[in-house]
Amino acid sequence: MRTLRILFAKELNATLTSPIGYTVAAVFLLVLGYTFSLTLFATKVANLQYIFHQMYVLSIVLVPVLTMRSFAEERRSETLELLLTAPVPELSIVLAKYAATLTLVLGIFALSLVYAVILDRYGEPDWGQIYAGYLALALHASLLVAVGLLMSSITENQVVAAALSIGIFLMLWFADSVSYLLSPPFDSLALNLSLIGHFKPMVSGSVFVSDIGYFITSSMLALFLTTWGLAQR
Amino acid sequence: MTISAIDAAPNDALVQTGIAPAISASNVSKRYGPVLALEGLTLDIHAGEVFGLLGPNGSGKTTFMRLLAGYLLPSAGRLMVAGHDVVGDSLAVRRRIGYVPEAAPLYRQMRVREFLAFMARLRGVPEGNVKGAVERIVDRLVLSTVADKPTRALSRGYRQRTALAQALVHDPDILILDEPSNGLDPRQIIEMRQLIRSLAGRHTVLISSHILSEVEKTCDRVAVLLNGRLLGVRAMADTADLEAWFLSLT
Repeated sequence: MRTLRILFAKELNATLTSPIGYTVAAVFLLVLGYTFSLTLFATKVANLQYIFHQMYVLSIVLVPVLTMRSFAEERRSETLELLLTAPVPELSIVLAKYAATLTLVLGIFALSLVYAVILDRYGEPDWGQIYAGYLALALHASLLVAVGLLMSSITENQVVAAALSIGIFLMLWFADSVSYLLSPPFDSLALNLSLIGHFKPMVSGSVFVSDIGYFITSSMLALFLTTWGLAQR
Repeated sequence: MTISAIDAAPNDALVQTGIAPAISASNVSKRYGPVLALEGLTLDIHAGEVFGLLGPNGSGKTTFMRLLAGYLLPSAGRLMVAGHDVVGDSLAVRRRIGYVPEAAPLYRQMRVREFLAFMARLRGVPEGNVKGAVERIVDRLVLSTVADKPTRALSRGYRQRTALAQALVHDPDILILDEPSNGLDPRQIIEMRQLIRSLAGRHTVLISSHILSEVEKTCDRVAVLLNGRLLGVRAMADTADLEAWFLSLT
């Protein structure tokens, strides 16, 4: 547990001292602010669903920018050799990077709470739906960060890591569209793999255990594969 | 409590008393796909000696060191470090060694003291002893003038020294230094050699080099590797002409 804490502090410090995190946060808030103003003036409805969908799309593009350097940079600068020859289990290294990046992403998401507060001040939003939306976003972020780390762990080129992550996220996003072209049982498999298929119900306020399970098991699978990959020497 | 006391095991006692070798390789091989980087290496390195691995680039020196450090796993054979198996008891091995890779990598965003404290914590130095351990190693390796500088601003010589400091900060039994004089100027090479010699006795030191004179002046014993095979081992005291012996083997 001590090594996990030490590694987490190092990762978080590296994230917060890098301009990448601030750039991502700035882009995120700029686009969200624009969308929020536009939809609020257009619909005049106290609802954050548009914002949640916007965050879903933005995070698919921006989370890989945050995860791409985690292992790729360590591999390129050869500091991974220092970590892997220290008396630290591979799982601690992976979990520390995962927790630090997820903390940053959730921190950026949390900044959007200001829109919920504004809606509450001037309207009557459905807080149950808002809570469910943030739960969906947190689970979505967990999956994106875990898969992003996995992609970063298999290459020393950050751009390749980001491109692979975005490619996988897009495939998962559109998996439900592909399902219509497939015959049983592959159609239901594609449908169940769909990222948006598990995200949408939660954002609408319907929280199903199966959707939560999808995000958690997918995240765990990606973290397991990253750890396993590191242990293959 | 020191790190060595934390993990003291019966095997360690045998190593410390000289009954068991500090490093023991038995028929160790390492394969990267179709390439056999190390072939059936059998070698014992005694506690407290400075042992040199000599050979041209690609001879298997770095592969052997990476196996010892736990960065790679052997494809075949048995490798014991400080009485622990590098495959079955990898964490225990990693607690007992200090390792400096050839590139002497450092975290560029950290300052020297911060980096050494991070490595000390990672290597299991108790929180209350971290500051003392860092200051001791800063003094010992004469790093005080650069201790508050970011590691990215260090010259090659100080970078190498900082890399050595991170390997020594937890006072390990065994030091593994891959090409420690690489890229240093003549004065820095002499200083590095004196530093390594000063570690003998208290630490078992394994260094790799492709420079004959460096090995000759630094090591107690030397092994010659070529194309992943061990060609010979000899004590420097018994070697009148290292160059002639090296040429006769290769």
